[in-house]
Amino acid sequence: MKKDVESNKAIVVENLSKTFIIPHEKISTLRGAFIHGWKKKSHEEFHALNDVSFSIKKGEFFGILGRNGSGKSTLLKILAGIYSPDTGDISINGRISPFLELGIGFNPELSGRDNIYLNATVLGLTKKQIDEKFQSIVDFSELERFIDQKIKNYSSGMQVRLAFSVAIHANRDILLMDEVLAVGDTNFQQKCIEEFNKYRDLGKTVILVTHDMATLERYCDRALLLRNGAVQYLGDPEKAVGLYMQQNMKDEEIRMQEEEEQMTYAKEYETGIAITGVEFLDADGDPKQVFSTGSPITARIHYNAKKRLEKPVFGIAIHTQDGIHLAGPNTKTSKLDIPFIDGVGYIDFTIDHNPFFAGKYDFTAAIFDWDCVIPYDYHDRAYTFKIISMDQNQNGVLKIEHHWNTPS
Amino acid sequence: MNQEHENYKQLIWTLAKTDFTLRYHGSILGYAWAILKPLLMFSVMYFVFSSVFNPRNTGTEYYAIQLLIGIMMFTFFSEGTMAGMTSLLSKSQLVTKIYVPRWCIIVASTVNGAMIFTMNLLIIVLFCIIFQFLPSFGSVLFFLVAAVCIYILVVAFSLITAPLLIKFRDLQMIWEVLTSILFYASPIIYPLSMLPANVRQIILLNPIAFIIHFTKEALINNRFMDPIQAVVFITALLALAGISVLLYQRFNKKIAEYM
Repeated sequence: MKKDVESNKAIVVENLSKTFIIPHEKISTLRGAFIHGWKKKSHEEFHALNDVSFSIKKGEFFGILGRNGSGKSTLLKILAGIYSPDTGDISINGRISPFLELGIGFNPELSGRDNIYLNATVLGLTKKQIDEKFQSIVDFSELERFIDQKIKNYSSGMQVRLAFSVAIHANRDILLMDEVLAVGDTNFQQKCIEEFNKYRDLGKTVILVTHDMATLERYCDRALLLRNGAVQYLGDPEKAVGLYMQQNMKDEEIRMQEEEEQMTYAKEYETGIAITGVEFLDADGDPKQVFSTGSPITARIHYNAKKRLEKPVFGIAIHTQDGIHLAGPNTKTSKLDIPFIDGVGYIDFTIDHNPFFAGKYDFTAAIFDWDCVIPYDYHDRAYTFKIISMDQNQNGVLKIEHHWNTPS
Repeated sequence: MNQEHENYKQLIWTLAKTDFTLRYHGSILGYAWAILKPLLMFSVMYFVFSSVFNPRNTGTEYYAIQLLIGIMMFTFFSEGTMAGMTSLLSKSQLVTKIYVPRWCIIVASTVNGAMIFTMNLLIIVLFCIIFQFLPSFGSVLFFLVAAVCIYILVVAFSLITAPLLIKFRDLQMIWEVLTSILFYASPIIYPLSMLPANVRQIILLNPIAFIIHFTKEALINNRFMDPIQAVVFITALLALAGISVLLYQRFNKKIAEYM
């Protein structure tokens, strides 16, 4: 299992595979095993990891990302020694932290002090080492005043702080962290990141699994993108994040299309004038349902006019999912005169730089007469598009064009 | 796989201490509860059975001490096996979220029972003083060896059943029933001599009955088992311990996945 690695490598993983066998009928009792013992059991195989190879250098801040079920956690658990791999080689140079989450073994009924000793022992420290580091652990957690209280009285943020503090002091050459930044306030997250950086500067390796793209881009030296248990990309974190976003968009696209197909909007009223559908197009004119903030969105409104309609007015509306009416322009207010429509056709409504932040938005399309009194067809919030944003610092719904001025 | 924990002893000790603190809230008074249970059991049984197993009828002396020793030893066995069996399942976090040697978790859970048994020795000494009973030095030594044998039995049993319980959750219920059967199938409230010879042989196949019977014989009557019996028993016990280690190693790889 263990092989000599080049001295500058912290971890080398070669052709690692792991398959879980998921029985269709789970037998969890002796009684069940006795009854079903003779039957051949059917099962499914889940290939959590499929021929994964990569290596991590010493002193690297290494990010792992991927969708749920892509094999991130399985990979980490194998590295930590919790799972054993089916095939493949793992060489580890240095002492790796055996834990994925913070505060393992924490007991709410014990005091902060007892929990530090318990947790640190579980993480592999000796009593002497803990005695030496105790003050430093307490100082880092900023919980001096509460250290003799039972931790069930701590807030979750305080518990995380304590746990992180112990973990940082566990003194491992390679640190594994699974979604540890998901809890705790921004201040503390910042502190954690700084601590990771310090760790790295000491020549130690940090492996971080996170969904926080901003952190990944900003701090990681390299990133590994997993998809369905295989390596999709390994290298530059920005590129990995980009690919991951694209992947997400594509998956979302497929999901929304499927949703759309279940509903049919084409209804024809007695008016004989109907909107037969709305497509959203990107800059290249390709149909899309997911856009990123700032990119152009074109809504192509298809209609079928069985009889000639003089001077029609097309209108649209955009609502948030909470029902807030964001905008409602129509062709009349936009000073576009359409002489008539007859037969099948379409009209394009384009937002050059869409101002929306991440979220889902409802789209309404309608055809009116010139006086905007008779709705020939009106599809109220019948269409949806989605915005994904890479900008983490978004407040509100809209990204407005703006600038600041200070009196000089 | 690639992990080595250098502080086994401390890990086991800390886990055991935590168990103890949580169970008895770290107080001496808490410990009183731990001895109260076998003591209460003893009182009831003594009240009921002391007239039945009157020395005049059965020729058994010091019934109270015999009963107490039997109950203490059996409690050591039953509580130890139950704690050991459920150790991994009740500490699932330590199995699925971190790598620590799983046998440490199993062994740690049996330490408590051993500590309580050790403290209970004081009660036994107290009873010996009250009843003015002085066992021979050899028989006391025998008793201590017997206690060690029970502990080995408990650990071996736990190493096998703790991983199994993860897959077969009803094992716990089955064992609960079995232990209460074993209690009455062991010569605790009655002397083995009461039973017909062929039944005795069957009863003695149960290792805990075997240990309790011969401990009582040694302490009360200063009669020891013959060396061949002792050698066979020790060999069987060590073989069981060896098998338990092998089985544990076999199960160990998949423990986290089945959790």
